Amino acid sequence: MKCEEAEEKMIDYLDKTLDEVKLKEIEKHLETCEKCIDEMRDIQQAMQVISKDEMELPDDTLKINFYHMLHNEIKKNERKKSPVIQDSGNAWYNLSRYRVAAAIALLICGTSLGIFIKSQLLNSYSANELKQLHSEVMDLKKSAMFTMLKEESSSDRIQAVNYVEGLDNPDENVIEVLVKTLNNDKNVNVRMAAAYALSKFADQRAVCDSLVKSLSVQSDPILQVTLINILVERKEKSALRPIQQIIGNKSTLKEVRAVAENSLRVLM
Amino acid sequence: MQHVKAGNLEEMSVLFERYHVLLYNFFLKLTRNKVISQDLTQNLFYRMIKYKNSYKEEYSVKSWMYKMARNLHIDHCKEEKKSDDLFSKTEMYTVEAIDDTEGFPEEDYERLEHSFAVLSLEQKEIIVLSRYQGLKYEEISAITNQSVPAIKVAMHRALKQLRGIYFKQI
Repeated sequence: MKCEEAEEKMIDYLDKTLDEVKLKEIEKHLETCEKCIDEMRDIQQAMQVISKDEMELPDDTLKINFYHMLHNEIKKNERKKSPVIQDSGNAWYNLSRYRVAAAIALLICGTSLGIFIKSQLLNSYSANELKQLHSEVMDLKKSAMFTMLKEESSSDRIQAVNYVEGLDNPDENVIEVLVKTLNNDKNVNVRMAAAYALSKFADQRAVCDSLVKSLSVQSDPILQVTLINILVERKEKSALRPIQQIIGNKSTLKEVRAVAENSLRVLM
Repeated sequence: MQHVKAGNLEEMSVLFERYHVLLYNFFLKLTRNKVISQDLTQNLFYRMIKYKNSYKEEYSVKSWMYKMARNLHIDHCKEEKKSDDLFSKTEMYTVEAIDDTEGFPEEDYERLEHSFAVLSLEQKEIIVLSRYQGLKYEEISAITNQSVPAIKVAMHRALKQLRGIYFKQI
């Protein structure tokens, strides 16, 4: 056997994947060739160094993000499989487009009217009247939100939820709609937006209670983690029970469980 | 994978559970960056769903998957090259590797990383696929479109070079 041939088979030799005939051949060559023995020692050392190197585990977020993505893809897939009846669907779609346009136009009109009047006639209007205008703008925002929440597209619905942030003192209706969105919307991103919007008003007892209640209903890992974080930040003791339920539930993702267990330590 | 192709996306989680740690480490060895590796792994599984129709039954899932992983990494390198001169980076590591005269065992890992960074991309890929990911030469051949003997020779050279750089540091 020549050195070149031996070189070719060295890795296989070290991996012990050679058949008996070839094994004998290379051993015979190694007995006589010092150069190849040296070379093989080099290769062996490199292989040993590598084999000592251990694999690293990725962050938990990778898993959470993957399942989130998979979940979304499955939903998209289902929607493709069951197309809405085309004719009426289209007509409805067009109609609702106009509705959004109208809602946004109203909102813009209202806001700019408010700004205009405020800047031009600030002196001549009494504070009372300004207040009234302000509340009218708020009403407009509110009705825009209600209309847009009925939209098919989830980005419209997220925008609708975000309007709430502009309201200083949302009334019961707004809160109720938000809670409904948080618990029932079919898109997880809209539900997330609703959770964040609600967290801004968590000083109100009713809002806080509904967040706690929602925690025991949600099954999406991202939402579970978000709600736990919101409630822990507020040191909300009444969240203990649903968090314990999540920990006890066998179908809970282990990443979520870890977050839940951490939160228990903070709350207790 | 056949199930996934047929529209049964839930089956994707089986593939994820089985391969995501391996693939993450594949990217990690090549990029040396945890955040980028996570992103690339996530992107890979997204692409697998998106391009599920490009999967053909006669290939193994593994080679299809690694082929895609390889392409993703190459795309990533191209993007990075725009903003970052990879050449000067490699040179920097070489200098560092030779200057480093201390050889404590706890630094073995870092030393290996530095030596590894000096190898060419092809060499890195072959070592990672074969030694770290435990793929057979036949499987690597299907991924890189090289013949099995060619891979063996390349592997031999890569290991020899790695060893040379690694022990030069002591």
